[in-house]
Amino acid sequence: MRDFLAVGLPVVVIFALLPLIYANQLLLFNFVLFLILAQGLNAIYGFTGYLPFGYVGFFGAGAYGFALAVMHLAAPPGLALALAGLAAIVLAMILTPLLRLSGAYFAIANLAAAQAVYQVIANPALQEITKGPYGVSLASVFAPRLSYGAALLILAGVFALVAWLRHGRFGLALQAGRDDPVSAAMAGIPVVSARIIAWLISALIAGLAGGVFAWHISVFYPETAFDLSFSIFAIVFTLFGGAATLTGPIAGVLLLYGLYNLIGISVPQYFQLIYGALIVGLVLFLPRGLASLLQRRGIDVP
Amino acid sequence: MSPEPPPLLAVDRLVKRFGGFRALDGVSFSLKAGEVLGLVGPNGSGKTTCINTISGLYPPDGGAVRFAGERLGGLAPHRRARLGINRTFQSPRPFASLTVRQNVALAAAYGRRHGAGGTVSLAALLAMLELDHLADRRAEDLNSAQQKQLDLARALATGPRLLLVDELAAGLNPAELTRMAERLAALARDGMALLVVEHLLSFLDRLTDRVIVMNAGREIFEGTLAAATREPEVVRVFLGSDHAG
Amino acid sequence: MLAHALLGGVIYGCYFALVGLGLNLVFGVMRIVNLAHGDVLMLGAYAAFFLFHLFGLSPFIAAPVVIVGFFLLGLPFYYLVVPRLALAKDAEMLSLILFFGIQQIIEALAAIAFGSSERSIPGRVLGIGPFHLLGETLSRAWVIGGAIAAAAVLALYLYLYHTRSGLLTRAVMASREEALASGIDMHRISARAFAIGLALAGLAGVFAPFMLGSVTPAMGTSVNLAAFAVIIVGSLGNPLGTVAGGLIYGVGLLLMQTYASAWADLLPNLLLIGVLLVRPTGLLGRRVRLA
Repeated sequence: MRDFLAVGLPVVVIFALLPLIYANQLLLFNFVLFLILAQGLNAIYGFTGYLPFGYVGFFGAGAYGFALAVMHLAAPPGLALALAGLAAIVLAMILTPLLRLSGAYFAIANLAAAQAVYQVIANPALQEITKGPYGVSLASVFAPRLSYGAALLILAGVFALVAWLRHGRFGLALQAGRDDPVSAAMAGIPVVSARIIAWLISALIAGLAGGVFAWHISVFYPETAFDLSFSIFAIVFTLFGGAATLTGPIAGVLLLYGLYNLIGISVPQYFQLIYGALIVGLVLFLPRGLASLLQRRGIDVP
Repeated sequence: MSPEPPPLLAVDRLVKRFGGFRALDGVSFSLKAGEVLGLVGPNGSGKTTCINTISGLYPPDGGAVRFAGERLGGLAPHRRARLGINRTFQSPRPFASLTVRQNVALAAAYGRRHGAGGTVSLAALLAMLELDHLADRRAEDLNSAQQKQLDLARALATGPRLLLVDELAAGLNPAELTRMAERLAALARDGMALLVVEHLLSFLDRLTDRVIVMNAGREIFEGTLAAATREPEVVRVFLGSDHAG
Repeated sequence: MLAHALLGGVIYGCYFALVGLGLNLVFGVMRIVNLAHGDVLMLGAYAAFFLFHLFGLSPFIAAPVVIVGFFLLGLPFYYLVVPRLALAKDAEMLSLILFFGIQQIIEALAAIAFGSSERSIPGRVLGIGPFHLLGETLSRAWVIGGAIAAAAVLALYLYLYHTRSGLLTRAVMASREEALASGIDMHRISARAFAIGLALAGLAGVFAPFMLGSVTPAMGTSVNLAAFAVIIVGSLGNPLGTVAGGLIYGVGLLLMQTYASAWADLLPNLLLIGVLLVRPTGLLGRRVRLA
């Protein structure tokens, strides 16, 4: 709770006030979106060690869950958002067997799964249902300010969740299972079911992010909602700042996404080059992210 | 006359295979509450496999493990911990990124045996294992002797009725050895059953006079430690081994 | 139609075996996941493209140039990165992330240097006219690409099973600990395997314009997924199992394209997930790799 009040809440408040002085709301929305996604990835990677390269699959499932609910059920945005989260959880349940795979196999299988979901949704044969490759338009529910507010609420919830994972019994149990699954079992921790719960939580976060994304931009294509960059950015931001902390992913998003907006929009290749080099440098010299610079000196990073 | 209660742990013709290799080949023994049983034998004789199978890390390929009269079958390790079976590891396996206090508190929170009486407080447990001044350090920053103490603290925090001890003495200095032996003996006096795998026979000698000698997955001797060292087959098995003690 | 799909599938299968071969060799020897594999292939394709368009060199000349060039680049690259990585506690996972970073660097540099437009080499440079095989008419470029791939697989087989260096490589694949204990110079063997892996990817790249269609800097990711599907279906860490994976993949792909073309793209992904879940050691594998 202390971490949430000290770090999470101020960030939420700042992003709630920024639209008053800064006009580019889409950019602010994207920051909030990546703050949510990075913490969602943190929940699974930071606390269990499972790196989901296909994290965007849950985001896309959420975006399309929202869109289908609006198009076919005429659902109000709130309900559609809940269904977006549900869509991601259902997908995560289907993919639960992937957790049997270790390390690299899990990451690659998860990437393949996200691609498969994309290929199904974008398939022209399903045009009646998903509009296939032609994209969806949700003009009837378009409400940029309301959806920005919803994104902030989700962000606040996600911050509180990660703060709880860091200090609560359940989150510590997850970290114990990540550090050593065998002795965690001997400590009485049901390692497998705890991991599955973290997986579902992480998917839910991405699904809600996808839903609120669909609501905010209201016109999108399958390749937008399933853009691999969502996975990549979330991973890089989290790694850069330091996984399994609340502050690390926030710092990663603010610094790197800020950098991206300075140079990446006009020449994305240069940003890609920079973050590629950052990843290589991190793995070789600072595998636990910026936060480890402080942790090494015995400072507890919230 | 009420019939004698079943032993706390009864291992009955236990078999564990890895591929074609029989790591355990029909091992049987039993253990009562408050009793200490030593398990000795050369490397690869199946001692650690025996502990791993009893603690539920491997499903057995034959035979049975009964605990307090109940057959354990394929019960998951974390459920065995909650029944009151716990263990230490040959090389300690703490939760490296968590603090000492968190390591022990987690075991107490998740693994506490149902109906475990005489709750020892975490502070007392840490003090008993000389970890109290390290409580807020990360486990990865401890030295290996301290990690061994932590491993034992993690196991004891669950309030076990049966403790499987795997090579606890290796790497401890004489003073630490003495204190460790006294601790284990005190646990047995309080009613805990101990199965102790140990190469250092002088350490084992302070705890018990009942040992089982294993070789190639089989039990080749059961009796006192002193008798074991006079038994020709035991001597033959240990000859040429670096660990004849 | 079925015979055509099957025959084409076998040809494609040989090619996809080559696509996965280097990745699998590197994983087998070093337990490293080279996520930049598809991008090395892309660089091979660009090398072939520029050698053809600037100097008029045919892919048959480009192939040996690329093989030698990529091999020579691979050796120093290995020493620059891998020994440091091997020190880490969780090297396999870190290698995945590290090579993902390298992939991003290669892709970005390629986009900056070559632009993002699609490049191709006309198929006629490999010879004119259709090719007749077993009563079916096939594209000549396909047959040549498949044959070269088959020759490369054979060459790797001869290296692994009939040279001393190959014997040591297999020893390292069987058990790193034992190999280390028996005094094998691990880094020398690994560096060579790594460089061969890059050379094989480069060679696959030279023929990519004919087998995979046009070439772009961003093609790496989809090539990677295909390569992973191939080696996981075959057997991870066993380079020759790759051939079986390649054939299954190639025949499957052509059958899908013939009978259910709208869903053909799904094949590599479903194959990959399906095999991983049902038989995590690959169809030919024995080594267990569950958590």
